[in-house]
Amino acid sequence: MRNSIPTAALSEFVNEVAASPEEALMDYGIEINWESGTRSRTETKPMKVGPHQVSRSFSWKSDEPRQLMGNNHGPNPQELLLSGLGSCMMVSFIAGATAEGIQLETVRIDFDATLDLRGFMGLSTNTAVGFPNIRYKIHVTGDATPEQFAELHRKSVAHSPNAQTILNPVGLQGEIISTQIDK
Amino acid sequence: MSNANILGDPNSTTPARTSGGWIADLDRTRHAGPFLAGHASAGQGMSTTAVHAGTHDDPRTGAVGTPIYQASTFVLGENQYQSVEEGFARDRFIYSRYGNPSQWAVQEKLAALEGAESAIVFSSGMAAITSTVMALMDKGAHVVASSDLYGGTYNLFNQEFPTFGMSCTMVDSYDFVAIEAAIQPNTQLMYFEAITNPLLKVIDIPRLAEIAKRRNVRLVVDATFAPPISMRTLDHGVDVVIHSASKYLNGHSDLIAGVAAGSRKLIDMIWPRLLNYGGSLDPHACFLLERGLKTLAIRMRAHEESATVLAHYLEAHPQVQKVFYPFLESHPDYATAKRLLKNGTGNITFVIEGGDAAALRLVNALQIPKQATSLGGVESLISLPFNTSQATFTSRQRSNVGIDPGCVRLSVGIEDAADLIADFEQALAVTYSQKEMSHA
Repeated sequence: MRNSIPTAALSEFVNEVAASPEEALMDYGIEINWESGTRSRTETKPMKVGPHQVSRSFSWKSDEPRQLMGNNHGPNPQELLLSGLGSCMMVSFIAGATAEGIQLETVRIDFDATLDLRGFMGLSTNTAVGFPNIRYKIHVTGDATPEQFAELHRKSVAHSPNAQTILNPVGLQGEIISTQIDK
Repeated sequence: MSNANILGDPNSTTPARTSGGWIADLDRTRHAGPFLAGHASAGQGMSTTAVHAGTHDDPRTGAVGTPIYQASTFVLGENQYQSVEEGFARDRFIYSRYGNPSQWAVQEKLAALEGAESAIVFSSGMAAITSTVMALMDKGAHVVASSDLYGGTYNLFNQEFPTFGMSCTMVDSYDFVAIEAAIQPNTQLMYFEAITNPLLKVIDIPRLAEIAKRRNVRLVVDATFAPPISMRTLDHGVDVVIHSASKYLNGHSDLIAGVAAGSRKLIDMIWPRLLNYGGSLDPHACFLLERGLKTLAIRMRAHEESATVLAHYLEAHPQVQKVFYPFLESHPDYATAKRLLKNGTGNITFVIEGGDAAALRLVNALQIPKQATSLGGVESLISLPFNTSQATFTSRQRSNVGIDPGCVRLSVGIEDAADLIADFEQALAVTYSQKEMSHA
């Protein structure tokens, strides 16, 4: 199995989806509960892979460093955002390499990004609240030429759902269900 | 030494890829198999299928019938290496834990009989059940199962599942409202038995399949008590059908084996669990199973013929309180049985006067049926739930699932009905004469 991905099964799945598009629809969900201070706990909801229910029994915590009034008990939301982005780009890169027959030995992606908290704090009107820029470097060892790797990089970003979510406008529809308690 | 030929299924090839393309350019599609897609059926009938499907003559000598490929390993060539690299090793001969021509032959026969795209044989029915269930469930997943499951399956769900963070809700298999209500967001599987043991409830599988499909859950059915001559379980919307092949499929009480059959997609998901859990079937056992299967249709007709006559005899006997045989009009599921079963089986459960003590005297007095657990063999087998299949239950637990004192589990073989009746006649006479003597 190249890169521990069964190319045959990947190919069969792609062709199955071409014939039955409902098999491509993935329903995801998570639930976040506030624990204390800046710390919260996320749990995955069961997901649907095509029309089939799948259990996802995973959870993790997020926190801020003490300097930001937290207790440093977990990665912070920005790190989790970069992790979600980078892990998705990784899947795309590995799947693309496998489909093209490239044997990989190591792949590492380094992410760096600078956030100016003045946006969050509301101190400056000119500062972006979010990341204005995200920098990364992919370090790869494998049996392809630098040109092939460059092309794989381009295609893997173009097909990465999380990269494309960040690069493109996305709707964020929320509502709040509140219960008022006595002071 | 190497071999450059395709040693395996020639219909299965590596996906062609165009340099600079993307995943959508991969062109390999799923086929029935291994081998099935390339082998035309010898006929439409179940008996023809039982005799011919999967079976092949020796290509070198013309010897009729599948040779026994008693080999643990195979000469490798570029073709097999490529199949490992590209992830279709299931379609090549590499090592017998992965696959062996003797396994493929009997798998093809079983898939053809069940109307499946693919099948895998295992070293036991429990190996088939464990591999199938673990392939279709993820960490934290939940299964809805019937409350009168086979003990081995019950133990898997009860003893092993919690270790994997998995859970099970057991529900009365007649209660479709309760079955549907038991489905949770993390439920991945509904697991039922086509005909239950020992009360021989015939489960309305089409209704289960409708619920499973509507609620996006997979349906797995253990059809050990309903081999494909009686019912093609997959035809009723089941995702994977499982059998203990040690019973009717093999039919001679001389091996332990199991099988899972269904779509190629799902059976390909189960195959890595066969590799990981190691429940592969030995080539010689495959030969025995393949040979046994050739007479499946004719054996099932004989089971039904003798069992029907004996069931009527027992029902008319004054010392027999109840008889459960799905083709008796008195059976609670007679209508379901008539709708779903194309052929009866040899299983009869009955309750005699005098409780378990009388039942013990009866099984000791019988000459033809062997006092042994298991079922589906050419020889009649008889056992008592209270000291075998439900021995760990208290008498109240047995009563709760409908097993009354004096309950006898009989698997009618293919012996002549007249001989079986004569044997029961003398044994019942002995049973009750001894009882009277003990009171004297």
